Amino acid sequence: MTLSKERIGALFFLVVSIAYGYFAAEIKLYPGDELDPMTAQTLPYVLSAMGITFSLFLLINGNHKEFGSGFAHLNWKPVIALMLLTLFYGFSLDWLGFLISTTVFLIAGFRILGEKRIKVLLLVAVPFVFIFWFGLTQLLDIYLAPGRIFGS
Amino acid sequence: MLDGIITGLQTALLPTNLMMVVLGCFVGTFIGMLPGLGPVSAIALMIPITYGIDPASGIILMAGVYYGAIFGGSTSSILINAPGCSGTVVTAFDGYPLAAKGQAGKALALAAYASFAGGTISAIFLLLAAPTLAKVSLSFQSADYFALMVLGLSAVAAFSGKGQVVKALIMTVFGLMLSTVGTDRATGVERFTFGSIDLLDGISFLLLAMATFALAEAMMSVLERVDEGAETQDMTKLGSMKLSKEEIKEVAPTVARSSVLGFLVGVLPGAGATIAAFLAYGVDRNLAKGDKKDEFGTGSLRGLAAPEAANNAASSGSFVPLLTLGIPGSGTTAIMLGALISYGIQPGPRLFVDHPEVFWSVIISMYVGNVVLLILNLPLIPYISRLLIIPKPILVPMILLFSITGVYLVSFNSMDILIMAGICALAIFLRLLTFPMAPLLLGFILGGMMEDNLRRALLINDDSLSFLWERPITLTIMLITLLILVAPLFQKAIKRFFHIESNAESLTID
Repeated sequence: MTLSKERIGALFFLVVSIAYGYFAAEIKLYPGDELDPMTAQTLPYVLSAMGITFSLFLLINGNHKEFGSGFAHLNWKPVIALMLLTLFYGFSLDWLGFLISTTVFLIAGFRILGEKRIKVLLLVAVPFVFIFWFGLTQLLDIYLAPGRIFGS
Repeated sequence: MLDGIITGLQTALLPTNLMMVVLGCFVGTFIGMLPGLGPVSAIALMIPITYGIDPASGIILMAGVYYGAIFGGSTSSILINAPGCSGTVVTAFDGYPLAAKGQAGKALALAAYASFAGGTISAIFLLLAAPTLAKVSLSFQSADYFALMVLGLSAVAAFSGKGQVVKALIMTVFGLMLSTVGTDRATGVERFTFGSIDLLDGISFLLLAMATFALAEAMMSVLERVDEGAETQDMTKLGSMKLSKEEIKEVAPTVARSSVLGFLVGVLPGAGATIAAFLAYGVDRNLAKGDKKDEFGTGSLRGLAAPEAANNAASSGSFVPLLTLGIPGSGTTAIMLGALISYGIQPGPRLFVDHPEVFWSVIISMYVGNVVLLILNLPLIPYISRLLIIPKPILVPMILLFSITGVYLVSFNSMDILIMAGICALAIFLRLLTFPMAPLLLGFILGGMMEDNLRRALLINDDSLSFLWERPITLTIMLITLLILVAPLFQKAIKRFFHIESNAESLTID
């Protein structure tokens, strides 16, 4: 049995559906709920069963073709870097505040995608972030908490 | 109805709302022109902005973005043979050859005129059909709504093209699964929260839409190195934008036919602009005779006008089920439904009664949007397209930033950014495995409503599922659902019987 793209997806959803069904059994009900025609567990059980059925169907009947061109030719490096950058942004927003972390995010993002001129990096990111920040805080009156490292 | 139209006119023609249409069309055109980013992403990016304004203006802005995005998609189809969204894939078949012949201006103008005509015809239909349907749907009960939602979800899967039906069904179920995360609305029980406070309220719709569309599409454009080669040279030399009388005479019947067809396809749940465009193109090619038939694919004016009129008509048509029943038929209308719900407006038959200004102003502003596209956007295309010269290394991080801050500035919870990154990674994985994303969003948005309606129907009906076949309306809807789901199984047999060649085999939903 060859692993085609469809089958990988089918396997993935089979696992997800089984896990979903397992955790559906763990949903705690209030006493007496089980007498209702439909409890908080009913729909999850049905969905889990449907998910398992469909993914088994796809696993068996799915495309038998080879893996195709695979994923190796894709441009993975910058995408992984951008994902990590997004995670970093999520952490840094609380600590460094909006201005610094957003500027860092943009400059690093431009750099990852191949813009190397420092002048361009700074001249685009800094004014952009400042205008964005100004618009949010001054024009739209949105409160942006300062970073924790500045104490507040 | 006249009262309603006047209310709608008053709201839609307010200076702020006119500005929203213009702004929406521009932004939509720009985002739509970026290869890889479709209308769903364009609308998702707009949602955080609309939170600050009143619902009517918000939905008007989003409708403007929708048209703009489809128009922008046609522009990049014609100029650089890189459709901005799936609804305009067919436009490239004849639009790009025309541009290659040095008639880019003519192709763009024809696309705009055809879209305008398609939009106009279907706006009139919408004006007539929507209130009637809204009145009928006032008599709908929970059971009917449940059945309609099942129909909508099945239809999206069934129309998703050859080899995609099961995948779309799986994605729908996955979306429904995601919708059950959080506190159960009826009993107050926690489900799948794993003790996390961030999940108590469930997954935010905006977060899911941004992560699976805007963020994921921007990342995919980096991953797949979408070609942005020869665009700059073509943009400056558009050629004449004039059409001769003979040419207009040639395409007029095509436009009329395709508009009606497009509207009807758009009204069907699940079949959106993409299918409408493919169908209209196919129909017109089959109707063409002799030389005209051979022209298709090499720069036929009819081949360009047909899908353009149809996809625009279908976009308006897809608002019918959204506005009257509250059931979206495509990814794009699903995201609008999500936005409306977060404004505290529940689309459906009550919308027509409770918020007539929203109902009518959307319809009127659709028409205004079409006018804006024709008189403002078309002449400005050379300038808007210059924005595409902004290099990708600058553009992509900006789009990422807008999608992330769009979510963050609503919740102010940095945990959301981490969840977004996780969902985005999953979305990229699934996109690479060619699983469609629109059914996921649709399932997620309809999940809660579906469960509520099912629960209510069961309560009313003494815990018995017999409501599914006892009322004629419910029974009819369920039978249609069954038919739609079973039809693909017999497709081969039917085709063999009628010797039909399908040219809409590899469609994806927009």
